[in-house]
Amino acid sequence: MSSILTGGRLGVLIFALRSALFFTPLPALLRDDAQLSSTLTSYTRLKEGVYLFRNGFDPYAGGVFRQVGLLVYHALMFIAQCSANYVVPVDGLAAWCLVQIWRIRSNTRNVAQEGLIVTVYLLHPYLLLPTLALSTSTLDNALLILGLYFAAYGKPSPALLILAILACMSPPFALLLPPIILLLMGSPVSSLARPISPQIDYRRMYRLTAEFLLYFSVLTLISSFVAGGWSWTYKTWGAVILLPDLTPNPGLWWYFFTEMFDDFRPFFLMVFSVHLLIYVAPISIKLRHDPLFASFILQGIISTFKSYPTLADPGLFTAMFAIFPEIVLHLRHPLPTVMLHVHAALLLPLFHYLWIVQGTGNANFFYASTLVFGLANAAAIVDALRAGLRIGFGEKPGHELIQR
Amino acid sequence: MLVLTILALQLAVAFAAGENDSEQFSENLRLRPLQDGRLSSTFEFVTILRTRTTVESESAFHEQAQHYTLFPLALGQLLRRYAVSELHLTLNSGKWNYESWGDPDYPSVASGAEMWAWIAAGGGESVDQRWKGLTNGLSGLLCASMGSLDKKRTTSPSIAFRPEGDLPSGKSHQLLYATLPSENVCTENLTPFIKMLPCKAKSGIAMLLNPHRLFDADWHGMGVHVRWLAQEGIELRLTFGAVLNPVRLSLNAMSRDWSFRSVFDRTISRPCPIATSSSIYVKLPYADPYSLTPDISRTAPEGVAIYDLRDRLEELDVKMRWRDPVFHFRPIENKQPLSVRRLLLGGQTRADLSIQLMNKENVTRQVLWLETMPWFIYFYLHTLTATIDGNRMGKAPPHSLTRIASYAPPTDHKPTLLECIVTIPPLSTVQLTVAVEKASIAYTEHPPDASRGWDLPPAVIQPLDHHGPRRIYTSTLLGDLPTPDFSMPYNVIIMTCTLVALFFGSIFNILTRSFIWVEVEGDDDAQDLVKQKTE
Repeated sequence: MSSILTGGRLGVLIFALRSALFFTPLPALLRDDAQLSSTLTSYTRLKEGVYLFRNGFDPYAGGVFRQVGLLVYHALMFIAQCSANYVVPVDGLAAWCLVQIWRIRSNTRNVAQEGLIVTVYLLHPYLLLPTLALSTSTLDNALLILGLYFAAYGKPSPALLILAILACMSPPFALLLPPIILLLMGSPVSSLARPISPQIDYRRMYRLTAEFLLYFSVLTLISSFVAGGWSWTYKTWGAVILLPDLTPNPGLWWYFFTEMFDDFRPFFLMVFSVHLLIYVAPISIKLRHDPLFASFILQGIISTFKSYPTLADPGLFTAMFAIFPEIVLHLRHPLPTVMLHVHAALLLPLFHYLWIVQGTGNANFFYASTLVFGLANAAAIVDALRAGLRIGFGEKPGHELIQR
Repeated sequence: MLVLTILALQLAVAFAAGENDSEQFSENLRLRPLQDGRLSSTFEFVTILRTRTTVESESAFHEQAQHYTLFPLALGQLLRRYAVSELHLTLNSGKWNYESWGDPDYPSVASGAEMWAWIAAGGGESVDQRWKGLTNGLSGLLCASMGSLDKKRTTSPSIAFRPEGDLPSGKSHQLLYATLPSENVCTENLTPFIKMLPCKAKSGIAMLLNPHRLFDADWHGMGVHVRWLAQEGIELRLTFGAVLNPVRLSLNAMSRDWSFRSVFDRTISRPCPIATSSSIYVKLPYADPYSLTPDISRTAPEGVAIYDLRDRLEELDVKMRWRDPVFHFRPIENKQPLSVRRLLLGGQTRADLSIQLMNKENVTRQVLWLETMPWFIYFYLHTLTATIDGNRMGKAPPHSLTRIASYAPPTDHKPTLLECIVTIPPLSTVQLTVAVEKASIAYTEHPPDASRGWDLPPAVIQPLDHHGPRRIYTSTLLGDLPTPDFSMPYNVIIMTCTLVALFFGSIFNILTRSFIWVEVEGDDDAQDLVKQKTE
């Protein structure tokens, strides 16, 4: 009992320390950094949208505000009442949910591991810095973890509602619907080591999908009602596919479409969007015995290849390694992956600063670091997926496992 | 005998002019010595076409032929074809210095090209289509890049640029406004301009339009202004303004004496016979002693010497001599009741746009601040702050000093338009600051000299209390954007696609290939065995 208290105390201590950072000049400095908050998640743009909305202008008329109408409504409440620091408790809640997910998954109360999860989630720079920048990616991440938490504890309605909210705010996360439905029907307990495919109740699956669609359409209707029309769908969800804003970010889309020949733009936009869709079915089917792991892998893929990623997206993926400690032993090349990440973590801010702020660098340097960053994430995903499948075969003395 | 012949000729000309009552042409030149030794000159050529309507209907366009004696046909056809009731087009070069030159004779002194038109709506075409046709037509007519004033640059202000004439009732009209700050006026624009004059540059004051001197001026600009007055008819004003620098032209003499010969390198040798009035106005200085030759025909009460060209048969070369042969530069006396300054401070992506409005009078002024920006410049209106004499007044909204009258945010390559009504307390300086974001744009959207940056249009300040000048323009700004590497398209496509393909391949490799156990004898030859089995 006392050790659990210690784990809790550690969490509270870290939480208090990082909350104190909000009272330093750091948030103001980081607020408009394009690596921490994208067009879709920027706090400055959110404020502008709220300002326009309050002053009787259509916030979706221009290209400045691209967040969902639903969020406008909430932001109105939030910003009016408790200023900007509403994100402070959000991360704490997310960390608590992550610990709960770990508990049900491992069926243990390993204090050291729980402390690790909390520490990694609260102190991961890729998660902490966007939070300090008041980016709504923090909110996206927290909602995803909350959704996974409800799904892991077998509560379909809250899980699907939260996923619907998340899909409204950040459409690529809708791709997590299949693994989350599988998780609702299956068990969160780690079954990577015993890969037995569960029987799937198709009628229940359809029912859950319909429930999600119901929530999603209701939320869409509310958003349209708040925004007074449908134009917002084009400005928010359309932006995810059409990439109207080419602000440099750590993702792979922006430079590709900055440099794209105009005639080929629609084709490659289609290719890049479809590329994200491709992975959903194979990964959900192959990993249907452990849907939580499937959502982990899919989240990694989405965060690496989506149109407007911030550091918070790969940040969540890397932080979630902490709830899958079983795969760590089976990773093939953890060191090169970590080195790639370190390389990218040092070069991304440096080259961004040199090019954008200082005006001395060249776009190619920053592009090269985003490539390294993409490679680091890709390597981590591939390795994690391979390790997840590898565990199921155990060890056999005198033999080696290969792929045919 | 000679006198009789000339008299007869003059009578014939007068008769010819009288015969054509429906069109009337007059010209004048205004000269104004400025306090910094320069000389402001404004040529004005006015043609009035007496008609009851501005633009004929679509059917009349085909039925009724257009016959003009004095009105330029090419322009008349454009106006009728695109249902334009009022048109103002200016091509200026340089920055009008309000502080030392005072108010310009024509308020449109924006650097580069500026065009605004009131176009009738209705009929088969949309107003946007008409604007497109009009700009392209004027492009050809004036040899200027007016065709670039497409929907990327065109806005419709709701308060600024009200019609200067009348608009025919019964038809709804729409205002379209666009600027092209990087456009320059030069001799290829002057030649078609002169072609539109009834006497060309062969007689009358247009003889002074010498491109070598006009385009050497410190500020120069030409304008085409068309408006309809219910009582008069269609009025076309072709204007050319130049701020000449006699001190510079006098080389080492440092003298501000000027004459037509010295500043235009031409004189007027014959009047334009068609002109119903043809006058030269010289604003007489009141402080320094001077002499003006030849003798003045008459003097207007407000201290303006008037030369009438029509009754003058000999060559005219107006000369002004100052008693002091050397011009001494003095501190500029700023008599402007309202001065404006605009700045853009910040980096390549984030910047602060600030505008300073100085009211030097002991009355509260209300002005309209019009800001148009290309589509990649976003305003963050919630950051709009105002200070009075440096004291912060708090953030918008709501604000006692500013009221946003209209705002069109940039979207899909349409420009930003902000119209803000600003109240300036007596004898104080109001500074408005707003954060702007300069978005990144695709490599094909950058101008050829991308690293130089973009010329951003001037802000327009329009006093709303009808007191002072009609419009004040700020200088243009240079906005630098983050530029991509223009040689990279293939490399980026190749490298990003490689990463995507590598990832796709690895994932599907892992997902589809089945795992098998292979027996390993010893560590040394394990690799060989694995190789054998896989083959």
